Amino acid sequence: MADQSKKEEEKENPSISISVPQAFLVHLISGLGLAISLWVAHNLYSINLVSHSSITLRLIWIVESATVILIYSRFRIDPQQCSYLKAVVRGILALPVGALVNALGAIALGAPVGIQYLPKTINWSLLMSSFTVAPAASVFGLSWTYWQRIFAQTKPNGPLEYMICIPAHGAVIGGWFGAWPMPLDWERPWQEWPVCVTYGAMTGYLVGMIVSSGFVLANGRRQRLKED
Amino acid sequence: MISAVILQIIGLSLFVFGFFPVKPALSGVSGPESFYSDDGGDSDSVANHTQTSLPPHLLKSLYQELSGIHPSFDRLILMVIDGLPAEFVLGKDGLPPREDFREAMPYTQALLSNGMAIGYHAKAAPPTVTMPRLKAMVSGAIGGFLDVAFNFNTQAMLDDNLLGQFFRIGWKMVMLGDETWLKVKDTVQVDQNVSRHLESELNRDDWNLLILHYLGLDHVGHIGGRNSILMTPKLKEMDEVVKMIHLSTIQTRDNDQGKTLLVVVSDHGMTENGNHGGSSYEETDSLALFVGLKSDHSDYAASPRNSIYQVDIAPTLALLFDVPIPKNNVGVVISEAFDLLTDDKQLRVLELNSWQLLRLIQAQLPGLSCRNLPSHNGFTDGLASTIVECSGSMEKMLCCLYMNAVNLHSSWKSKVTIQKPVGLLAFGIVTMAVSSLTLLGLMICMSTEDQPGENQRLCNSITGMHKWSVNEIFLLGVMLILVMSMASSSMVEEEQYIWHFVLSTSYVLFLRKAVQPLASGSAKSLFKLMKGQAERHDIRISSIILLLISGRILRGWHQGGVNWTYLPDISKWLEQAGVNHVRSIQLSSGLLVISLSMCALYLFGSRRKITRLFGLCFLICGLLVLWHLYHNNAFVSTSYDAAIQTQIIYAILGIATIGSFVALPWFIPLWFPGTCSELNLKSTSVTLLLQQPINSMPILLLLVQIFSSMLYFSCSGLQHIEVEVALLYYMGMAGHFALGNSNTLATIDVAGAFIGLSSHSMFLSGILMFIITYASPMLFLLSMLMYISVKCTSYLANHQNVDLGHLAKMILGFPLSGSSGLEFNSTDFLHHCLGVNEEPFVCLECLLSKVLVCLCRNCLRLHRGLCRGCH
Repeated sequence: MADQSKKEEEKENPSISISVPQAFLVHLISGLGLAISLWVAHNLYSINLVSHSSITLRLIWIVESATVILIYSRFRIDPQQCSYLKAVVRGILALPVGALVNALGAIALGAPVGIQYLPKTINWSLLMSSFTVAPAASVFGLSWTYWQRIFAQTKPNGPLEYMICIPAHGAVIGGWFGAWPMPLDWERPWQEWPVCVTYGAMTGYLVGMIVSSGFVLANGRRQRLKED
Repeated sequence: MISAVILQIIGLSLFVFGFFPVKPALSGVSGPESFYSDDGGDSDSVANHTQTSLPPHLLKSLYQELSGIHPSFDRLILMVIDGLPAEFVLGKDGLPPREDFREAMPYTQALLSNGMAIGYHAKAAPPTVTMPRLKAMVSGAIGGFLDVAFNFNTQAMLDDNLLGQFFRIGWKMVMLGDETWLKVKDTVQVDQNVSRHLESELNRDDWNLLILHYLGLDHVGHIGGRNSILMTPKLKEMDEVVKMIHLSTIQTRDNDQGKTLLVVVSDHGMTENGNHGGSSYEETDSLALFVGLKSDHSDYAASPRNSIYQVDIAPTLALLFDVPIPKNNVGVVISEAFDLLTDDKQLRVLELNSWQLLRLIQAQLPGLSCRNLPSHNGFTDGLASTIVECSGSMEKMLCCLYMNAVNLHSSWKSKVTIQKPVGLLAFGIVTMAVSSLTLLGLMICMSTEDQPGENQRLCNSITGMHKWSVNEIFLLGVMLILVMSMASSSMVEEEQYIWHFVLSTSYVLFLRKAVQPLASGSAKSLFKLMKGQAERHDIRISSIILLLISGRILRGWHQGGVNWTYLPDISKWLEQAGVNHVRSIQLSSGLLVISLSMCALYLFGSRRKITRLFGLCFLICGLLVLWHLYHNNAFVSTSYDAAIQTQIIYAILGIATIGSFVALPWFIPLWFPGTCSELNLKSTSVTLLLQQPINSMPILLLLVQIFSSMLYFSCSGLQHIEVEVALLYYMGMAGHFALGNSNTLATIDVAGAFIGLSSHSMFLSGILMFIITYASPMLFLLSMLMYISVKCTSYLANHQNVDLGHLAKMILGFPLSGSSGLEFNSTDFLHHCLGVNEEPFVCLECLLSKVLVCLCRNCLRLHRGLCRGCH
């Protein structure tokens, strides 16, 4: 059964149709989701990452994961077998799994383990999961080939894969760089886990979206040239 | 090539001598001339003449006559409590000390609150280790940094000091102290030895100066830290001693046998976990308690100036007992100590102190005359706030002026004592740079020599023609990151974060790479086709995951660093859990180390008889080590038998190693890997023996890391050998920090350096200390040798055209790479001292350390060049 579906997937054109304006719109909406959640946190609840990192992170990941899952599920790779609802569900299911992977990665890289850090780590990893794993799960489902191509080999193929791969990598790399100020003795509150890592990841995610828009644009031009 | 290495060592030593301040010291002792004002050189010779000719009692009366201060005390008891932080007695920031400490010392606290005693926070200068601090207390001078090396070796003190002055006026001195550094783990015996004779000595009156040195409190700190359960009983014991002495001094005073001054001092404080050596507040906060001086301040905590410098003790004592102030003294007298005297006598005291200081200034700044003191040019700018307007009566004004001078003086002290000979430094650095450049050049020459011909093809088949992947680029980029991170001092202080972060990132990247080729198609059919391949992948992935997990545990084992040492970590948690848990963990990890290495030896070595012999030998050693660990727990070791046991273990290991080195080449042609692995395992067992019990588990983890990384490398096929070398090296450094070391002197485990030594030897204990501190980098360097030699020999065995020249070059390479590793370690040691020396002038040092680190990287690159030369 699984083999059959995979074969069918491979028969299809991997670059499922997504036009350049659509791609821009998707990035714009997910970026707006991030911005809106931050705005709500600052102005409506008057909390921020430094003072209430756990609650703020929860707010951000709820808004962001909802936006991302809802919007990326529209571009699922197998619309024949998989309804929109099913794509949303698999995105939601992938969220905690991806959070687990992210949390393990963060702990392996040295995130503090302790009961007082647990809620922060959980919320942070859910946010990271909504940046990285959730959109990929909504689009690709369980097809291992895509996952491997995007996350292990970093060889995206076509605009949709660019749109998932580059922001995800951007978030991870941004988080990695965001961890560097942590051992410095500036004694600022934002040097705590996971505040600066979150800032780094969000910045990386935004940069990744801009870069991927550029790639999508370039890709579209090349396709048009080919067609001509 | 060897000459280049020697050149580098010379450069390094030049740098060391230039880097550590060597202050100009006045030789000779001060005599009666110190009671005159300084008119010229003529009086000096006269004074010296008279001084040498006078017998002690005449000299004493001469001093008394000249000084004009009639001493209020006849006898002095100097009680040195090693490692007692002033916080335990006086509290911190105006707050009283902790409740349990206050209850532990009821008599001392009563003395303080009744105004019978004055207590001071005496700020000790780094390095806060015992010997330099004792010197500072008796001579009033701030020692050079190199005194650390002499801490463990008591040598005769040649400079002018208080004890010499007392001796010259015919005082009889009794010293009660235990000089056994060897019994560092013993906390009770050392102090009982001191107290045993105390009572009888107190009742006799044939002494003028009694020095008591109590080491037990420092030992308690080294074992259990500030909050050790042994601390309160120890403080109680000290309090009993104070009580006994004080009661007896009251008695002697009532019997008109003369007044006695009791001075309780500590040489340094201790950090939260009981170490010392650095310059943090906890370490420099030592105690100076004068019992017998009447104090007006009943509330000691609110007394105006209860913080002094440790060097201030020397001139105060000297003037209290009417002897000349030692020549190199930089301290100023504690004016409260002379409150009982009349005003003109107080002024005389201040005057004597100022003359002595003036002489010292004139010796250090030759162009200075009395008229143009440097106080006018720029010096005063920052001090304007501390200088108080002086008015009132003549004498008050003079006093006030003097206090201003004291303020100026203390700022001058901090600047003058650290002048570095920049020329020497630069020369040392240039020498080192030149030598490393020549080494580099030689390496390049060698590798280009190797290139042409058939070798090139082989080279390509092994290393070349392989596309650089992300993780490999990252590993080499780490070098740049490290050099850049040295720019900030906090990154230097918290270096372990960088190592762990970088290392685990590279593990993650390796994991990613290991996942990449998995099932690049429909998975299962491919798996079936290449089952061998799949197994290899499994091994790779599992070994990487093992590396990740063990790396994370290692990171969590010791918090390390400078700023966040209080954060919880596994070792603190285990120590709280109790000694029994620690011991069981120690034993089980020892057992695991032995079984693991036996397994590895049998998997690794071919099934020759000789390897079996090795295995047996190692097994015996390991079991001996285990037996030793089992019989000696942390508190009651250091019996004579234990020393003998350890000596036996050293002997067996040494004989086995030498035997294998000598015997093996005759038996097997490709002997090197065997010897290396043997060496590696032996060093593991030695480390296991030497390290603190809490560290035995990290050693097991390090061994696991070594083996799993080897497994990974051997399975992963084509790799750049540089990457492997770099990764092993990083692992070694991360392990260095995981064993609880940091970039300060405070974390060096002194107690371990005396394991198995029955007599004091600076050389042997130095070697042991080196082994303990650099256990992890050494282990990894050795394993690197092992790995490379295995790779080379297997390669040579595969290709039948065995080139003997290559083998020779390869073998020649090993001592060299070892030496570069050593060199790295020594530069790292310099770095350690840097961490201690945190003062405002740190920017220059930062620059220098950067240069040093660049040199280290150079060494590493050399190392790599060597490895390439190997092929």
